[in-house]
Amino acid sequence: MKNRLKVLRAERNWSQADLAARLEVSRQSVNAIETGKFDPSLPLAFKLARLFAIPIEAIFLDEL
Amino acid sequence: MERHTGSPARYRFEDRFLFLVLPLMFLNLLMAVVGFHTFHLQPAGSLAILCSILMASPWIAFIVIYGLYLAEEKDEFQRTILVQSLLWGIGATLATTTIWGTLEKFNLVPPMDVNSVVFLFVIPFTIAERVLRWRYR
Repeated sequence: MKNRLKVLRAERNWSQADLAARLEVSRQSVNAIETGKFDPSLPLAFKLARLFAIPIEAIFLDEL
Repeated sequence: MERHTGSPARYRFEDRFLFLVLPLMFLNLLMAVVGFHTFHLQPAGSLAILCSILMASPWIAFIVIYGLYLAEEKDEFQRTILVQSLLWGIGATLATTTIWGTLEKFNLVPPMDVNSVVFLFVIPFTIAERVLRWRYR
């Protein structure tokens, strides 16, 4: 699934490791989500939305 | 041992491996070298049962600590990698033993040593885990 994670992260000047620490996941996880190789579960998607203070659909793009 | 994820569950898994599985493996090695090779001991009865349990214990412990890691790991991506690797390991084990079993029926191969099945699982499982981690690096 496409997402705007890299852009949102860059806007805040966070590295993948910074975001991973805030989400309490591995940097590898952040990289896999960012590159669209792994789709996070709803709880993790909500956690991302809370962290960036934006709705989930502003992070993850519906490809239909 | 390489530390991949930095998650507390992974650290606990590695500590359990170091302080439980490795000592059990060392104990097995000691028993095999000193007991069976040097002194040619041939245990029988309950001592044989005890030796058998001891010989299987590192692998049982390995399965248990992996199960605990799977239950304790909160990082869903790491869990996904582990589950995919386990599926590769199980699939390869089932495929190999099935093929070997049918070949055995026609006396085309010697009977398989049941002890080797654990290696049939561990080798593809380890390769799959490495490949998956490399893919998602």
